[in-house]
Amino acid sequence: QDPIVIKFSHVVAPETPKGKGAEKFRELAEKMTNGRVKIEVYPNSQLYKDKEELEALQLGAVQMLAPSLAKFGPLGAKEFEVFDLPYIFPDKVVLQRVTEGPVGKKLFQKLESKGIIGLAYWDNGFKIMSANKPLTMPADMKGLKMRIQSSKVLDAQMRALGALPQVMAFSEVYQALQTGVVDGTENPPSNMYTQKMHEVQKHATLTNHGYLGYAVIVNKKFWEGLPADVRGQLETAMKEATKFANDIAQAENDTSLAQMKAAGTTQFHEQSKEERAAWMQALKPVHKDAESRVGKELIEEIYKEAEAAGYKM
Amino acid sequence: MFMKILDRLEEALIASLMAGATLVIFAAVVHRYLSGVPVVQDYVLHWNLAWAQELCIYMFVWMAKFGAAYGVRTGIHVGVDVIINRMEPNLRGKFVLFGLGAGALFTGIVGSLGARFVYHISETDQVSADLEWPMWIIYLAVPLGSYLMCFRFLQVAWTFVRTGELPHHDHAQVDGIDPVEAAKEGGPA
Amino acid sequence: MNAAIIFGLLLALMLTGMPISISLGLTVLSFLFFMTDVPIDAVALKLFTGIEKFEIMAIPFFILAGNFLTHGGVARRMINFATSMVGHWNGGLGLAGVMACALFAAVSGSSPATVVAIGSIILPAMVAQGFPKNFGAGIITTSGALGILIPPSIVMVMYCVATTGHPQAASIGQMFIAGVVPGILLACFLGFTTWFRARKFGYPRLPKASLRQRLHALRESFWGLLLIIVVMGGIYSGIFTPTEAAAMAAVYAFVVAVFIYKDMPLSRVPKVLLDSASMSAMLLYIITNAVLFSFLMTSEQIPQNMAAWILDQNMGVWVFLLVVNIILLAAGNFMEPSSIVLIMAPILFPVAMKLGIDPVHFGILIIVNMEVGMCHPPVGLNLYVASGITKMGITELTVAVWPWLLTMLIFLGLITYVPAITLWFPRLLGFM
Ligand code: NA
Ligand code: NA
Repeated sequence: QDPIVIKFSHVVAPETPKGKGAEKFRELAEKMTNGRVKIEVYPNSQLYKDKEELEALQLGAVQMLAPSLAKFGPLGAKEFEVFDLPYIFPDKVVLQRVTEGPVGKKLFQKLESKGIIGLAYWDNGFKIMSANKPLTMPADMKGLKMRIQSSKVLDAQMRALGALPQVMAFSEVYQALQTGVVDGTENPPSNMYTQKMHEVQKHATLTNHGYLGYAVIVNKKFWEGLPADVRGQLETAMKEATKFANDIAQAENDTSLAQMKAAGTTQFHEQSKEERAAWMQALKPVHKDAESRVGKELIEEIYKEAEAAGYKM
Repeated sequence: MFMKILDRLEEALIASLMAGATLVIFAAVVHRYLSGVPVVQDYVLHWNLAWAQELCIYMFVWMAKFGAAYGVRTGIHVGVDVIINRMEPNLRGKFVLFGLGAGALFTGIVGSLGARFVYHISETDQVSADLEWPMWIIYLAVPLGSYLMCFRFLQVAWTFVRTGELPHHDHAQVDGIDPVEAAKEGGPA
Repeated sequence: MNAAIIFGLLLALMLTGMPISISLGLTVLSFLFFMTDVPIDAVALKLFTGIEKFEIMAIPFFILAGNFLTHGGVARRMINFATSMVGHWNGGLGLAGVMACALFAAVSGSSPATVVAIGSIILPAMVAQGFPKNFGAGIITTSGALGILIPPSIVMVMYCVATTGHPQAASIGQMFIAGVVPGILLACFLGFTTWFRARKFGYPRLPKASLRQRLHALRESFWGLLLIIVVMGGIYSGIFTPTEAAAMAAVYAFVVAVFIYKDMPLSRVPKVLLDSASMSAMLLYIITNAVLFSFLMTSEQIPQNMAAWILDQNMGVWVFLLVVNIILLAAGNFMEPSSIVLIMAPILFPVAMKLGIDPVHFGILIIVNMEVGMCHPPVGLNLYVASGITKMGITELTVAVWPWLLTMLIFLGLITYVPAITLWFPRLLGFM
């Protein structure tokens, strides 16, 4: 009997944490289902680009994706914009409480009406802010042209800091920074390092202000049509692959940061408690503004998780 | 009469999309630089032109779809015609009709696929990332443009059957440059 | 096997003379429909998203800018300036034609447009001065090809679009910067051939222009030349991204044509807009269908398998580049550059990268091949355009271009096997 084929398409290189996670899932899934399932991984947007992969999934042209969480807003699930809010997750513990707890589940349910089932949240990491001048206090951001990826929340975040957000494709950022089309940007350390942005940024502050993550999703009709035992095996495989992917994402961020520090082209600045408080203060209005889009309750539910972890929100 | 109106609408649409997209990007660039000028900054910083790129892309995609239809009417689409141009007229005519028919078939199918796709998207709440316009309206360019193109292929085929004439685009034609006048001006005074 | 079916079908459809875009699209549709379980709805999606990319939008903007320049008196002033500089040497107006083509190429992204802009003015002038018709036609047909080598260049944008997504893909900015030195070098090569033949046959020279005349001509063409700085300076210094630079160029060219040189009345603007839109739409339509085609090939794993096969042959870089040149020159017999680049680059690029060839060098090599292809029959857009201007037959023109075409082939050999010509300048500027 022919194996069930799952086309798993993503938009990054195979060597990235997400790429390795996808590869790991392929290995585990094929092993756990005894070859009843064959996973074909298509990295680097080979089949579908950033902008079209979600539609392709809904059409059933691919079965599995791992898009960035920012992609779900335009799909009609604006609640996912909550992940973009600055300082909504004070640390990784709170993040995990959300993604692995009831809030994460509830968010995934919003996708079902779009013909999508969410299987897992994969980390990319927390973002740091970089530019060609020191960014100690929020006021240092005033007037800077900052590259963001297309997102209403990130736009509002930069504006709240007095900066001018510039939407730009990830692949163009290095050159834009080098030539001064934009002054700075925000990235998890691993992205900053792989794109060599530290070569063209003099300063970076370890703000860890925002979170970047992915969701592994499948076509609902396809998923529900699978034999129950296969589905169970795939879920187990996904759980292990998720742990694997998140661990290497963390490791990758740590080594990237160390390597950029060693390269010496960028000065990395650790925030003092007061500085962090000032940034949080300056960015708090963004949460309030976002209420009308993502829903007040959702934000408060996340606050509750943070408070349960000992933070005052 | 109806045809005349359709022709003019088609032309007006693609020319305005061309001009519009240029102005949008021009405005966005000017805005970016004004935002860096200290005094002006305070007035322009709150204008949000983050949607400019997206709007430009959508305008050009629409221009491409309808412009492609206009291109059928004006014969701008290039093909490999070295072989058929050496055939005797009767046989060549058959190949020309086959090509036009294939064009109509392809654009007709794509139009229908596009219509189905638009219908499917219209049942979701998808909006574009920056402008937050409903995606199904934006995707309408595919069925509308393709059906119009299909119609143009049939129209050209029909004219070819009746008169044996094909629209031909002359790349060497430059309006406003008169070679004779130009010749007089050649060289420094 | 599938590769054979796909390419066989594509070739068969193309040879019937239907538009290349349609043959690409029909090949994909029929293959997807009969031979795979990829849902055919994905086609409609791809037809929209295939060009949904800001980088691609540089193409319509550069076309619009080029049209304003062609109609707006910029070309004429550039010719006058070039004539005042080199008109007194052997070959006179012919040399000026080469130089004017190079100057115009630096503001226009297309080769046929360069041939039209410079050729339609200078060719009648040359005939009036007593040059044989075929001498001028040969010069302009080949020098016009500089349009896609000297930045900006629409075909370079196509190359970047066709290889996008590959981790080593070159950026538009890198390609543009890399085109500068080869472009100037090729202009010198073509100029030398012109000078040599003019001296041999004793063609007319012009009286040497005085410094005052030269300065006057420079001042006259200043606004046109300034566009070089707007585009290249803008991209290089980071004021604009390439697409933005193209849009700014279009606005600038409009202002120069209508308000500064006043060679174009406002009433003619809608026609220029319409022509530009139509030309852009044709190219965007080819891109859309080519993207669809390369999607089909990827999902059938054809480029990957071909790459593996070529690597298995152990042919080495030297032979591989030779093969690439032969394939591209052969394709240049039947298709125009955009289609060739969009169809061939996704296949050849991954192999070139595995062999350790520099992506920018590989790109420039492809561009030079495309230049050659535009100048020889049976399909050669520059040749067609020149034939339209001179009213010469294609056969007659083919004979006329050969000395310069041979020069271009020698130049192609140099570019292929001396990567430093291409790479030292962008490296010097720290662009790669
Ligand atoms: Na050029
Ligand atoms: Na040719």
